[in-house]
Amino acid sequence: MSTRIDALRRARPRSRLLRLSLVLLALLVVWAWTAGDFDWADLVSERRGENVRRFFAEEVTPYPLREAGWSRAGVVDWAAGLWSDRGARGVTATLSIAVLAIALAGAAALLLSPFAARNLASARPFEFGADAPRGAGGGGAFRWRVLTGVTRALLILLRAIPEYVWGFLFLALLGPSAWPAVLALAIHNAGILGKLGAETIENLEARPLVALRDAGATRTQAWFGAVLPLSLARFLLYFFYRFETCVREATVLGMLGVVSLGYWIQDARSKHYYDEMLFFVALGACIVLLGDLVSAAVRAALRRTG
Amino acid sequence: MPTHGSPASDGAFALELRRVSVAFDARAVLDAVDLACAPGEVVALVGPSGAGKTTLLRLWNAALAPTSGSVRVHGADLAERTPRELRELRSRIGFVHQDLALVPNLRVLQNVLHGALGRQSFLSAARTALFPAREEQERAAVLLERVGIGEKLFQRTDTLSGGQRQRVAIARALYQEPAALLCDEPVSSVDPARARDTVQLLTALAKERGFTLVVSLHDVRLAREFFPRLVGLRGGRVWFDRRNGDVRSSELDDLYSLERAELLADGS
Amino acid sequence: MGADAPRGARRRWVLLAITVAAVLAALTLKASLGDLVPQRGGAELVLRFFARALSPAFRHEGEVPEGTPSLFFSALAAMRRTLVFGVAAMSLALAGGVVLGFLGSSAWWSGARAGGGSAWSRFLYRAIAPSVWGAARVLIVGMRSVHELLWAVLFLAALGLNNVTAVVAIAIPYTGTLAKVFSEMIDEAPRDAAHALRAAGASHVQVFALGLLPRALPDMCAYAFYRFECAIRSSAVLGFFGFPTLGYSISASFENLHFGEVWTYLYALCVLVVGVELWSGALRRRFVA
Repeated sequence: MSTRIDALRRARPRSRLLRLSLVLLALLVVWAWTAGDFDWADLVSERRGENVRRFFAEEVTPYPLREAGWSRAGVVDWAAGLWSDRGARGVTATLSIAVLAIALAGAAALLLSPFAARNLASARPFEFGADAPRGAGGGGAFRWRVLTGVTRALLILLRAIPEYVWGFLFLALLGPSAWPAVLALAIHNAGILGKLGAETIENLEARPLVALRDAGATRTQAWFGAVLPLSLARFLLYFFYRFETCVREATVLGMLGVVSLGYWIQDARSKHYYDEMLFFVALGACIVLLGDLVSAAVRAALRRTG
Repeated sequence: MPTHGSPASDGAFALELRRVSVAFDARAVLDAVDLACAPGEVVALVGPSGAGKTTLLRLWNAALAPTSGSVRVHGADLAERTPRELRELRSRIGFVHQDLALVPNLRVLQNVLHGALGRQSFLSAARTALFPAREEQERAAVLLERVGIGEKLFQRTDTLSGGQRQRVAIARALYQEPAALLCDEPVSSVDPARARDTVQLLTALAKERGFTLVVSLHDVRLAREFFPRLVGLRGGRVWFDRRNGDVRSSELDDLYSLERAELLADGS
Repeated sequence: MGADAPRGARRRWVLLAITVAAVLAALTLKASLGDLVPQRGGAELVLRFFARALSPAFRHEGEVPEGTPSLFFSALAAMRRTLVFGVAAMSLALAGGVVLGFLGSSAWWSGARAGGGSAWSRFLYRAIAPSVWGAARVLIVGMRSVHELLWAVLFLAALGLNNVTAVVAIAIPYTGTLAKVFSEMIDEAPRDAAHALRAAGASHVQVFALGLLPRALPDMCAYAFYRFECAIRSSAVLGFFGFPTLGYSISASFENLHFGEVWTYLYALCVLVVGVELWSGALRRRFVA
């Protein structure tokens, strides 16, 4: 029995990829923590301790209360003042940036994703595996492959570079307006939504599409007539899921100098008004929460109706 | 090594229901059912779907409490047992689920070893999951060999066919060293030839190891072929409860045809 | 077909609402298309910048002090630090996310209430389970709703510049996000095997760890890998706040108008991100349907 178990054990299917990945991940973690980038002694030094103490004891206390002492009316007055002075403007701008950006990203992704979907953008659409004649279409097939390849590479570039970096670049290139933030968010999310949209198209059931093609529909007609209606529900789920992240990111993009909440956070920070900074950070948390709730509610409604 | 040899029916559990009713949302699923299985007895529960077979089996496993009446296992009322005692009891009662309820992305060995969880502390279960002892592997291998898929010991469960997975579920229940084995429609998802093999295997195992066996079956012919005692269930009541030879074919026909008549009556 | 009509109509309303919202947003922002045209010779700048996308720099474009490593090595060093910060943050977030995700899932607690264990432990669970569960959910929401850059800014204000704070700043919101998604995945995992293990007398911790968790594990790993990719991006962005990651190099080179170098660093970031994406894609193809 023992030898048989050993024989079976030796013959068991195992994944070298998985083992390698686990070892590599463990090594990465150990390396990251021991690579010498972290100065622990400095972290617990007296100077840091003093900084923290001052920060919590003095700087985060709302300014008017530092001498007058804590009172509810005082806090409310202070918060209301900040809200009407800058907060409301910042919140409106943040939400507007997020909405405009995600709408642009969605439109761009809808246009790009069919070109990145290997089943649609090919010389012989909707044929995979066994029934796809090898090399069919000749030069045409090659041209289609180049097209999907280039589109996919573009989508990778768009999403690999973070919103904040795009925002930084656009602000410097375009000058101050809301556009750098909007474009930054739109571009990064177009990359993500484009990839997800292409995957959705590739995972569509082939039969209705083949039927359309056999009925003589062109790729564009097939896209309008079948691909879009079939994949739209899924795409909208992704869309609202990304809207959530857009609200988060729109807040911080302001730190580059666009008038979203982040701008006022950065403004307060540079003046060392940490009480105001904390207020705006909390305000940001509230609208992120709001965005989450809206997105979750819409997605639940979409799921219910399919 | 498993303890075979003398059929140890003295260790087997007696299963009993006394005037048991179960209602879900005021809908009666079982209605004043009386039923007793002696230790080591082999019984088939037959009846149309919705007759209450699954509910009846779950009562004995303490997965469900009756609305009224008393469920007795091994001579004691389940309602009077402490949670710890219930857990011990469950660990001695094997249950083969209709949908098998295996963990698909674990190896067969792990799924079989899960049978012993009821007797293990959390730490020893974790040890078993990560580094199964040689002795545990051998016990599992013997059981898999017995149910006919010895060579699958280290395969991933989701690479197995439906029939093979069913064997894994049976081996898991056997690994519990059950004093009673309850099977809920164990053959509902396999083809007829395999279904016959499986029922044959279950009854043979019951004879060999001496545990009490109750199998709910939709297929009357299989029940006729392999079980000494048939219990017909319909609409939450015991329709008949007799030795196999004493059950008339017309009674079996009634069990199902009445349902058809009722369905028609409902529809109008 | 009849059932399809209202769905289609609903979707059309959603699309229309999005369009209207976008137009309103543009009006609110006073974002005219005219502002999209760069001002003051900016057009030439834009062209110059994007032209370098196809010809990233291979050596430093400006004067560098004696002993500065070549551009290749400074890009490599920035990549290394970006990776170090990302991995360290992710390892913290994963540990925290697993713990909070368990505590925040209803499956973890439902087993305890369903029976099993001694009367004493059942009482304990009944008394503390709702409060621990609630506390975990609140903590998850709190950690999640403040962006990692804002955590970083808060730490900078309270502590000053230290690399550990960058790692912790990324780890906090990532812990919250991982915990939220993990708890959802655990709660949505099929329960059949868990019920079977309970029927075989397993305790609720065993049911959770051996019946429920393995079923959610492939999805959890796939999601953790995706967050790892995001952590690398976040780590790069923290460079804009003075931490020595790729963002620092990007902003420094850009401010000197060394556009070729900027693209070199951007591509370096792409290599890291795409590398992780390919790795996780290979694993996912193998283990998730």
